[in-house]
Amino acid sequence: MKLSKVITSLLQGLPTTLILLVLSFIFASLIGLGLAWLYLRKNILASGVAKGYLGLVRGTPPLLMLLLAYYGLPKLFQLVGININDWAKLIFGIAGLSIGWSAYLAEAFRSAYLSVDRGQYEAALAVGMDDKRAFQRILMPQTFLIALPNIENLLIGLVKATSLVYVIGIVDMYSAATDLSNQNQGVYQLEIFVILALIYWIVVLIIEWGFRHFRKHYQYVTV
Amino acid sequence: MLLELKQLKKQFKENHVLKGIDLSVNKGEVIVIIGPSGSGKTTLLRNINFLETADSGTMAFRDQQIDLSRPTKEQILWVRRHTAMVFQNYNLFKNKTALENISEGLVFGQGKSKLEADELAEKALDQVGLLDKKGFYPSQLSGGQQQRIGIARATVLNPDIVLFDEPTSALDPELVGTVLHDMKQLADQGQTMIVVTHQMSFARNVASRVAFFADGEILETGRPDEIFDHPQHERTQQFLSAIAEDY
Repeated sequence: MKLSKVITSLLQGLPTTLILLVLSFIFASLIGLGLAWLYLRKNILASGVAKGYLGLVRGTPPLLMLLLAYYGLPKLFQLVGININDWAKLIFGIAGLSIGWSAYLAEAFRSAYLSVDRGQYEAALAVGMDDKRAFQRILMPQTFLIALPNIENLLIGLVKATSLVYVIGIVDMYSAATDLSNQNQGVYQLEIFVILALIYWIVVLIIEWGFRHFRKHYQYVTV
Repeated sequence: MLLELKQLKKQFKENHVLKGIDLSVNKGEVIVIIGPSGSGKTTLLRNINFLETADSGTMAFRDQQIDLSRPTKEQILWVRRHTAMVFQNYNLFKNKTALENISEGLVFGQGKSKLEADELAEKALDQVGLLDKKGFYPSQLSGGQQQRIGIARATVLNPDIVLFDEPTSALDPELVGTVLHDMKQLADQGQTMIVVTHQMSFARNVASRVAFFADGEILETGRPDEIFDHPQHERTQQFLSAIAEDY
């Protein structure tokens, strides 16, 4: 089998992998921010809800989270009279990964927020900013910079976790590779998987390059 | 009278940090507060601009009478926008350049336009001789430079009163002079200041009045020569005789 055929076949799954990666990461970040905000509130009920969610989600394997999203969400929506049975599988894949990664991101945001120097906030208040401005201008950017290494790790972890969506029948790069291998009765299995590993690695390298570039831009911001 | 504190009390759990402080400050005065570490001097400053909330007491500031234990949000913001603070650890915004550190309060505290704020910030940087550092982040500046920018950040707001919380305590000895020089210049320009410091020579040479503070109380106030040459209170005498520095 020609190398170009293997690469072409695998790359057909790449857009799906990237869509899963990008959208899951965006939604996971948004949910994570909301959870971190809830967690940090003084309201016991709000922080209790966040703690419960975090404990539950972090204790569930990502593969299981995908299955739960795929089989569980339609049932959940049915309870409120909404039929989502005919939604694309990709949506359930994104939902499962978003829920799974939101808990880790929430913890990354929360711990980063707590480690921002308190004096930074006080200085913002002392120059006359209100709470909202102090948060927007000083606390939030510094929280983000502190959380950056964790965010990078989680994003790289998510690249690899996207391959789990085969369990609900989404054809991503990993599925494309197993399909190709099966079509050839497993003869070129090792070669196919080595090439697949290389493609994942390149995706990770690009992410690492992006983060490195970003870090370099803020190298003098020592939060 | 620009500012008058009456019976300001603050305790942290069982610890009575401020035991009923009375302090008045006239416009243009430089009040220097001296006293042992941990006696509540910093807490006193932080209660004035509401970084801490007092348990009781009142503050008359300009034309407003404020219950220190129950300030409204508007009063807190109003006081903060008419005062400024210089911190012991500088507390420059780490994610902002030197110029942005100074302009930030003008734009997001006082509502000035970015253009006007930048102009004022450049002027303030120029006054402390650090205009060439305007694009530098705090991590690229020495402690002395950071604190001078801290002072510029405070004074650019044109505050009625500047609160200095041990501005030279975190500095290397050879950098203290430049910061004290900037502060003296401010005092000479008529800026009202309350300064908590261990720099006795500054207190003697620059203060309009010196307050000796110990165990949560102001035990004695007076002109610098009164406090340093003829301290009345036994505690003040003990404190001053224990200090190695020439003042």
